[in-house]
Amino acid sequence: MKNPLTILLFWVVLTGFFAWDWAHSAAVDVRSEPPLIAAGSGQAPTGGHCASTF
Amino acid sequence: MKRSPLAILVVAFVVFLAWSVALRQALLFAVGVGMGAVLAGARFGFTTGWRRLIERRDPSGVLAQLLLLAVAAAVSMPLLAAYPTDLGAALGPPSISLLVGAFVFGACMQVADGCGSGTLYKAGLGIPLNMAILPLFAIGSFLGSATLDRWLALGAVRPYGLVAHFGAPAALAITLAGLAVVGLGVVRWAGRSAPLFDRKLLIGALLLAALAALNLVIAGQPWGIVYGFGLWAAKLATAAGVFDPAANPFWSEAVNAATLRQSVFLDVTSITNLGILAGALWIAAGKPAGSGSAKPLTGTQWIVGIVAGFLLGYSSRLAFGCNIGAMVSGISTGSLHGWIWVPMAFLGSLLGVRVRRRFAF
Repeated sequence: MKNPLTILLFWVVLTGFFAWDWAHSAAVDVRSEPPLIAAGSGQAPTGGHCASTF
Repeated sequence: MKRSPLAILVVAFVVFLAWSVALRQALLFAVGVGMGAVLAGARFGFTTGWRRLIERRDPSGVLAQLLLLAVAAAVSMPLLAAYPTDLGAALGPPSISLLVGAFVFGACMQVADGCGSGTLYKAGLGIPLNMAILPLFAIGSFLGSATLDRWLALGAVRPYGLVAHFGAPAALAITLAGLAVVGLGVVRWAGRSAPLFDRKLLIGALLLAALAALNLVIAGQPWGIVYGFGLWAAKLATAAGVFDPAANPFWSEAVNAATLRQSVFLDVTSITNLGILAGALWIAAGKPAGSGSAKPLTGTQWIVGIVAGFLLGYSSRLAFGCNIGAMVSGISTGSLHGWIWVPMAFLGSLLGVRVRRRFAF
């Protein structure tokens, strides 16, 4: 059964995690942001994926 | 919560991402919101579709999934051929790890009543078991990635991509032929016990295929889910001092080490995962209070469900993806591992539906 308090707790914990991560991770360098659209950018994709072994 | 204030929060977060992180991430979050809204709005459950086929001989869910795969492949494969350096396929290695992982994942997704995308959108809808499973899924996914090297040592061959080997037209023809064979088998098994098509699921399939293609075009990599979960738990484990990423083969790799240092808002899979949760919450906000409520679970059901959730995370890493990363993205971008994942996960599901019945879910 759905419980509004449980749902609220879920989102508070999730938001708390993201806020903690934002505060403790390396600052974002907005001047070297990835291309808006990868296709046609000429840059190889970066970042992890579920299918990759590395 | 009503939809209007929630929509304002979503737009505010998009603006935050565009201003403080990257325009690409803002766009990907919006794509994720769309995915979550479609998954939750159409109740597009991969797990449920398979279970209905097994238990009721109802083919409508699986046929909608085949349509999703076909349309996504028809869009993705030419794109991969046109932009071979900019876009990457979801290539996982055929391996012992894949066989074991896909089988366990298929079994556990039936017990937990949610695969990768299902767990996300059902958590977004506020379903208690799926909300509780999410952190366990993340821990399992992290431990799976941290032990992946040992599993790969049991035996693996190099990933095999149809587009790279045969070119887009032949790869698409092979893929569509494979999907047609599966579709004919499904229709034959179902007989006349249920309608072949469900309009809502077919529309959901087309929308999800379009959003998956958008994900590929924008991010440069196909739609994925479980990498993000593992990353979240890896960050917490590292911060708590219980895990040294530099000493782990997977997390010490340059790509993963860099992802671990930066904000999760820069990670492609994390941002679409968050979008899926938000999109599903938006759907839930529009429904009357109490709608979709089921009877409370027993203590035993909770324990079985939570254990299954942990194993979902662990096995999805061994299988190089869940129903999204391995099946949808793997098959639609021409990876052989996607075609191995499906039969193994289906065999696991045959066991999983029995376990589900045994514990009266």
